[in-house]
Amino acid sequence: MAVITLQTFFIAGFGLAAIGFGVAVFRTSSMMRSALALLFSQTALGAMFLAMQVEFLGVLQIMMMATEMSIMAIFMVMFMMDPGGLGAMEMTHQKRLSILAGVVGTLFIAGIALFTSWGAVIATAPPAAQQTHDLGIELLGRSMLIFETAGVTILTAMIAATAIALPSLQRNPHHEP
Amino acid sequence: MTTLLIISALLVGAYLVAVLEAWLANGRFRLTGPLWATVALLGRESIVPRTPDRLFFETAPVLLLVAAVLAAAVLPLSPSLIIANMATGALFINAALAYVLVALLMAGWGPDGAYALIGGWRFLGQVIAYSMLVVMPITAVAMRAESLLTTDIVLSQSGVWNIVYQPLGFVLFFVASLAVAFLPPFDLPTAGGELAGGVEAEYTGSRLAVFRLGRMVLIVSLAAATTVFYLGGWLGPVLPPWAWSAVKILAVSAAMLLIGHTLPRVRETQLLAWCWKLGIPLALLNIFIVGVLVLIWL
Repeated sequence: MAVITLQTFFIAGFGLAAIGFGVAVFRTSSMMRSALALLFSQTALGAMFLAMQVEFLGVLQIMMMATEMSIMAIFMVMFMMDPGGLGAMEMTHQKRLSILAGVVGTLFIAGIALFTSWGAVIATAPPAAQQTHDLGIELLGRSMLIFETAGVTILTAMIAATAIALPSLQRNPHHEP
Repeated sequence: MTTLLIISALLVGAYLVAVLEAWLANGRFRLTGPLWATVALLGRESIVPRTPDRLFFETAPVLLLVAAVLAAAVLPLSPSLIIANMATGALFINAALAYVLVALLMAGWGPDGAYALIGGWRFLGQVIAYSMLVVMPITAVAMRAESLLTTDIVLSQSGVWNIVYQPLGFVLFFVASLAVAFLPPFDLPTAGGELAGGVEAEYTGSRLAVFRLGRMVLIVSLAAATTVFYLGGWLGPVLPPWAWSAVKILAVSAAMLLIGHTLPRVRETQLLAWCWKLGIPLALLNIFIVGVLVLIWL
């Protein structure tokens, strides 16, 4: 039987915290609580990376999610008719379909985790500075095309979204409200 | 021991910043002023608004303080005086500062008050304006040091300080750090005279004391970051390294407070427009210039 090391303990702890906050996202009616629960779920994932000695990815995850989830919060508050959750509004719908999708998704991910050949486990992680260097080389080599494609796609979406949000000059040439 | 020393240094720094701020605000230099202000705050009742989101209301001041302390944890006061010399230090400080936003959103939403709410969401807009101006100048600093270790960043300036090597980056980072600490002219989330304190408006007593302490520590942390990234950190003749750090950090803090004191408050739309149309292109130009300098000169 494998000995539970401190590292395993922390990985499991942060993992459970991530799941706990993830559940909290759907257990509250307040959009703000929901968004920030998702934020802290993602932060716990970042902490898991740190516990797994993947420093750069961990810090990056913790940094990115704080801003991104906060921006998501304002959209959730804007678009829900009861953002504070004070009116006891029913937030769930299509329950059976959701449960089915959840179970299938979980099985699919568990299948990937179990049936992928992950290769040999590295006994000691390379030093953090080396990892950052290796990640940089990876991003500018093999993975460059993927990242550039994703980047350009996001940029296109941002420009399109801004263009849609602008009041149309043709429809309203004199900027009248 | 190091942790204890640095946290004490942060508290002393925060106290001195509070003295400076009071001096600038009411023109009287009183070394004991913040002490009495704290005693008064702790002695007062800390009122909870009628229908708060209690969790956020209680967490916000503490989270602000924790974020500010964590930001300082990766900054060296001397070659050995650093809490955590992380291989990703220059990135970690951004991660810590990102939670200032979370704290302010919580402080805005928590009390269920109109002024606080507007203040909180304003800061979200402010983050969208300044965040690139924090990250991109740090990128250029790390490029020169060829490392994200903050101690390496200081050592990379042993010949020429970054304020001379990349002055554009310094100006951008300095302006952005005023915005991070929501100091005037970027005090949009608190906005005295307009939002009646904004995110601070509903806090009283001990909770307000923690909130104010968090903000003071944040100012010191940002001044320490400016010192490490642009002013050669602990480097300097005659005086011991920690003394140089202390002198520089206090000077930067004073400059942060003084500059804000002389400028009118910026409007949210103006801030966003300036940051995106002027700030980000300048930050990219700074990265380009530093890239060329690193290649041809080192």
